[in-house]
Amino acid sequence: MLFRTVFGVLATLALFASFLVTAPARAADCGRVTLADMNWSSATFIANVDRFILEHGYGCDAELVVGDTMPTGTSMIEKGEPDIASELWTHGFTEALERGVSEGRLKIVSASLSDGGEEGFWVPKFLVDKHPELATISGIRKHAALFKNPEDPTTSLFMGCPAGWGCQINAGNLYKALNLKDAGFVLGDPGSGAGLAGSLAKAYERGEPWFGYYWAPTPLLGKYEMVKVDFESGVDEAHFVECIAVADCENPKPTMYPPAPVHTVVTADLSERALAVVAYLSRRSFTNSFMNGFLAWVDDNQADGEVAMAHFMKTHEPLWREWVSAEAAGRIKAALAKM
Amino acid sequence: MGDWWREFPEMDRETLVALRKALDGGYREFSRSYGAEIEAFFDPLLYFLVWFEKLLLATPWWLVIIVLCGFAWMASRSWKIILGTVIAFLLIGWFGMWEDTMRTMSIIIVCTLIAIALGVPIGILMARSGRTQAVVTPVLDVMQTMPAFVYLIPVVMLLGIGKVPGVIAVVIYAIPPVIRLTNLGIRLVDRDVMEAADSFGASPWQRLVRVQVPLAMPTIMAGINQTIMMALAMVVIASMIGVKGLGQPVLKSITNQYFTLGLLNGLAIVALAIVFDRISQAYGRRMQAYRERLEG
Repeated sequence: MLFRTVFGVLATLALFASFLVTAPARAADCGRVTLADMNWSSATFIANVDRFILEHGYGCDAELVVGDTMPTGTSMIEKGEPDIASELWTHGFTEALERGVSEGRLKIVSASLSDGGEEGFWVPKFLVDKHPELATISGIRKHAALFKNPEDPTTSLFMGCPAGWGCQINAGNLYKALNLKDAGFVLGDPGSGAGLAGSLAKAYERGEPWFGYYWAPTPLLGKYEMVKVDFESGVDEAHFVECIAVADCENPKPTMYPPAPVHTVVTADLSERALAVVAYLSRRSFTNSFMNGFLAWVDDNQADGEVAMAHFMKTHEPLWREWVSAEAAGRIKAALAKM
Repeated sequence: MGDWWREFPEMDRETLVALRKALDGGYREFSRSYGAEIEAFFDPLLYFLVWFEKLLLATPWWLVIIVLCGFAWMASRSWKIILGTVIAFLLIGWFGMWEDTMRTMSIIIVCTLIAIALGVPIGILMARSGRTQAVVTPVLDVMQTMPAFVYLIPVVMLLGIGKVPGVIAVVIYAIPPVIRLTNLGIRLVDRDVMEAADSFGASPWQRLVRVQVPLAMPTIMAGINQTIMMALAMVVIASMIGVKGLGQPVLKSITNQYFTLGLLNGLAIVALAIVFDRISQAYGRRMQAYRERLEG
């Protein structure tokens, strides 16, 4: 009986194994490369493009690993893994990153988003159409009562950044600097990126007032028309770096967000062993206007990173051709034809 | 051999996307038309939650400990449990987690009360009819295994973030044990006892509240105990949609790799769990002891 069971299991396994197709051999000059696949649309899209180009253009054995800004950044500094972070928002941990670069463990090879990320406090456009003064922070303070806090109707709600994110620090400091507390606002914690996005989407869909932190390029800001509130202060980049981005800064003063640096970061090990790959990465970059438009397509089609990548590679050949060598471009084209 | 032999003949992507978009659009439409009314329906719950949290936060710490020990004594009559409760809460306060613990405790207590208020009647209905049981059991399976975020985000679209969606998520996850064990407890009541009750001319209502529920009480208590444990396990998930409490520092520690912060707050959740577990178990055991004395 036992023998028959074992035999049956083995026969089944053999049947399954006969369907396995051995993977085609890869060119050996690049080796195994891991890329961080972050959980938001633009990052997972760029990571998928990088993976495809590395695999088919440069013969790498490229593999996506799940990542997120802080864990991936820390792991790259401490453990040298993964090899590539395709879209890393670095201002949350400038210090650790600089240490990693100066100790020769990391290399910043390019700006993934050439304009940088756009952060700010936003309100829905339909609200500004009704009350034009809401486009400025003094108007927000004046009409604080519009943004009623459901858990305590005597106060107003400013939706801050999720606990632990880099922006929790700067949004908290700006909340102080802009005297939002005196205007009756409490600083809300949405708990997670999904919570923040959900609260914005719910308010917009319902036509309700919403005032909070968000950033672009994101599918959400591609989809919902939001207005970035003017702090009437201009950008004071030095003060932002010295104070607003620092936890427990004593005396924060208002400043708009400077463009957030968004880098492609690789480990030192990879930058030494795969020069062609680094050359590609240093040329690969997107503008915000392209990315916002592209992400709107992604959202309309509920595309995951891989589908978005395939669509991009097929429809934007002139763009990616500029990034790769002529031979690599030929190999990529051949791989695309087979898709 | 056709392609279907090697590759699963799946629906083509365009149709699937169209289907997904149609359902998403339908849900958005629903939330736009009825969201405000549904939100208003839950307003009393929100006021109660806010009030209860404020009450716990405003109560001096020593009074909270005394009240808790009072409950512990009523339920368990055990000095060991009382001592453990006092030590656990003193440590929580000393490590600066008092406020978050009170917030978590307030939401857990409300969730447990809701779970009992809904779960025990459902369990009783299930025990009385095999057909109800056949319908409810798979629903409970779904509630226990469906990943929380799958229903959290639709709930957020409907109700926003904060306490009410948090409570809904916790109750969905934590209610199955109390339903299952109420059902089981009543079904396990001895047939002879029921016949005796019948022969004394008990009405169906008397049979239920005087015989079945009291005899099933130790099992029901085990269910309540499990419900409390599962509610505490959901604290971190609930904080991902803006519920304040011990879950928030845990999330913060995950994103920043502050291991000690995570561990301390995790241990505070464990301490709450152990205190509630020991109290409710001791209560269940004492009821059983009473029964054994009667029978013996």
